[in-house]
Amino acid sequence: MTFLTKVKTALAAAALAVGGLAAAVAPASAEGLLETIQQRGKLMVGMSTFVPWAMRDKEGNLIGFEIDVATKLAEDMGVEIEFVPTAWSGIIPALLAEKFDVIIGGMSITPQRNLTVNFTAPYANSGQMMATNLELAAGATIESLNSSDVNLTCRRGVVGCTILEKTFPKANILQFDDDAQAFQEVLNGNAHGVISSAPKPAFWAEANSGKIEVAFGGTPLSTGNEGFALRKGDADALNFFSNWILVNRSNGWLAERHEYWFKGQSAWIDQVALEQ
Amino acid sequence: MDSRPPPPPLPKRRLTALDWLLFGLVALGIGLVVWRVNAVLVYDWNWPRVFGFVARFDEERGQWVANLLLQGLLTTIRLAFWGTILAALIGLVMGWWRTCDSLALRIISRTYVELIRNIPPLVFIFIFYFFIASQIFPAIGLETINTKSPWVDNTAFRIAFGDPALFTNFLSGLICLALFEAAYITEIVRAGIQSVPKGQWEAGRAIGLSPTSLLRDIIFPQALRKILPPLAGQFITLIKDSAIISLISVQELTFLATEVAASTTKVFETWILVGGMYFALCYLFAFIFARLERRAGRSARQET
Repeated sequence: MTFLTKVKTALAAAALAVGGLAAAVAPASAEGLLETIQQRGKLMVGMSTFVPWAMRDKEGNLIGFEIDVATKLAEDMGVEIEFVPTAWSGIIPALLAEKFDVIIGGMSITPQRNLTVNFTAPYANSGQMMATNLELAAGATIESLNSSDVNLTCRRGVVGCTILEKTFPKANILQFDDDAQAFQEVLNGNAHGVISSAPKPAFWAEANSGKIEVAFGGTPLSTGNEGFALRKGDADALNFFSNWILVNRSNGWLAERHEYWFKGQSAWIDQVALEQ
Repeated sequence: MDSRPPPPPLPKRRLTALDWLLFGLVALGIGLVVWRVNAVLVYDWNWPRVFGFVARFDEERGQWVANLLLQGLLTTIRLAFWGTILAALIGLVMGWWRTCDSLALRIISRTYVELIRNIPPLVFIFIFYFFIASQIFPAIGLETINTKSPWVDNTAFRIAFGDPALFTNFLSGLICLALFEAAYITEIVRAGIQSVPKGQWEAGRAIGLSPTSLLRDIIFPQALRKILPPLAGQFITLIKDSAIISLISVQELTFLATEVAASTTKVFETWILVGGMYFALCYLFAFIFARLERRAGRSARQET
C-alpha cells in the first residue's frame, strides 16, 4: 500500500510536470479565457465527486453545493454549463492541459498549489474535522492520537493529509483513493481516526452512531479556504471569477446555498438515497 | 505433415468420493473467510442503493433506463471492442515489421515495443494523455468537433462511441489503451510469424509467390492458428487493463464506480458488483475465443 502510494504520488508529480510542460508548449491563445467561454457558449468545469460538494443523485445526475455554484456562474455569464468529472489526483494536470476552463472542486488554497495554478477569492471556508472509532479512541485528544500505535486515514492528495502529518507527527498516516475507503478503515477498527472536510465526519457519525464519533467535540483542526482554480496568466478571468464570488458572498447567496448543503443531510437525503 | 503425437485418452468424467471431499474443503475454506470477514467488518450492507445505479425506472418515460454503472459497462464494452480491433491492427503491422527485411522498419517496431513494454502502464497513460494527446487532438481539430452536427449526433454514432460530448475523452482513452496493448500483440504476432518453418517461406518463394501473397496466403494463416490462444489472453487483458484509464477520467466502468462509491459510501457493494460485471465480460470474451480456436483447429484438421 505505502509503496503503491509513493509510486502514485511520484506519478502525480510527474504528470504535473508533464502537464505544465504541455501547457508551456501550447501556443498561448490570442483571446482570454472569458472570450473563449463566450464564443464557445459553454463553461467547462472540472470537478470531482465529494459529498456534499458534488455527488450523484438517484438518477445519476450531479448535485451538490459546487454544482449549484457553477450552474449559477454559467447562468450569470449567459452560457451553458458542462461538468467534466475528473479523478482528483489528475485534476490540476487536466486543468493545465486545457481539458476544462476552471476547477470548481472544493479545492483548498495552498501555497504549493498556488505556485502551479491561480486561485480566486475563497467561495467557501470548510473546516477539517476528524471522526474517530469509539472502541479504539473514545474521547480522543490531540495528544492521545499523537502516538506511534495510532493509525489515521485520509484521502490521498487532500489538505487533510498534510494537517494530519503536522498535527500528529508520530501517528501512521494511511492514504486512500477516496474518502469512503479511508472512513471504512476506521469503521472496521483498523484505524483510529479519519480526517475529512466538514461536514462529512458529522454525517458519518450520524449514520454510524455507536461506532464512530466526531472527534474533539466537533472543533475543526483547521479552517480552509476553497477557491476556483484557473490556469495562470489570465488576470481578466481571475478578476471576473473573484468578483463574482464577492458579489454572491455579499448578497448572501453563497451562504444560503452552503447552509442548505452543509447543515445536515435531511434537506437533500431523499435525492440521493432510495427509500429504505 | 502432422507429426504431433496422438492425443491422450479423454480425462475421467465421473467424480469420486475424494473429489467431493476436495470440493467440501474448498467450500469450507470460503465459508470460513466469509464468516471471518463478517465478524471483523463493521458494515451496513445495502445492496438496493447500488443496484439503483445499474438501472432505474424512469417514471416520466415509464420505462427502465441505464444508470451510471450500466453506462460505464457499455463504455467499457465499446473500449474493449474498438480497442481489440485497433490493437490487433497496430500489432499486426508492427509484428510484421519486426520480421521484415528492412532494417529501418525493424528498428521502428523494436523501439516501439521496448519503449512501451518497459514503462508501467500508469506512467505511459499519464504521459500520453497530458502530453501527446493534448497536442495531437487540437491539431487535427478533434477538440472543436461539433457535437450537434448530424454526422455525430445520430443513433449509429451513439451506439458505436457513446455520448458525442464525451467523444474526445473516449478517443484518448481508446488510443492509449490500444497503443499499450498492441506492443504485446506485436510480440505475439512476431513469434507466430517466426514459428512458421523456414521451409514454408522457401517453398512459397520457389513457386514464385509475391512477398504479399506469401505472407497473406501461406505465413499468416499458419501463424494465426498458433497465436490464437495467447492473442485471446491478451485481448482479455485489454479489457481488464481498461480500468487503468479511469485515471485520466475516461467515463468507463471503474471511473463511474468510484463516483458511485463516493456518492453512496457503499464501497463494497459497488466493487463486488463491478467485479462481477468485469468477470462476466471477460468470461464472455474467453468463451467466444475458445469457440474461434476450436473452429480454427477444425479447419486445420480438414486441410491435412
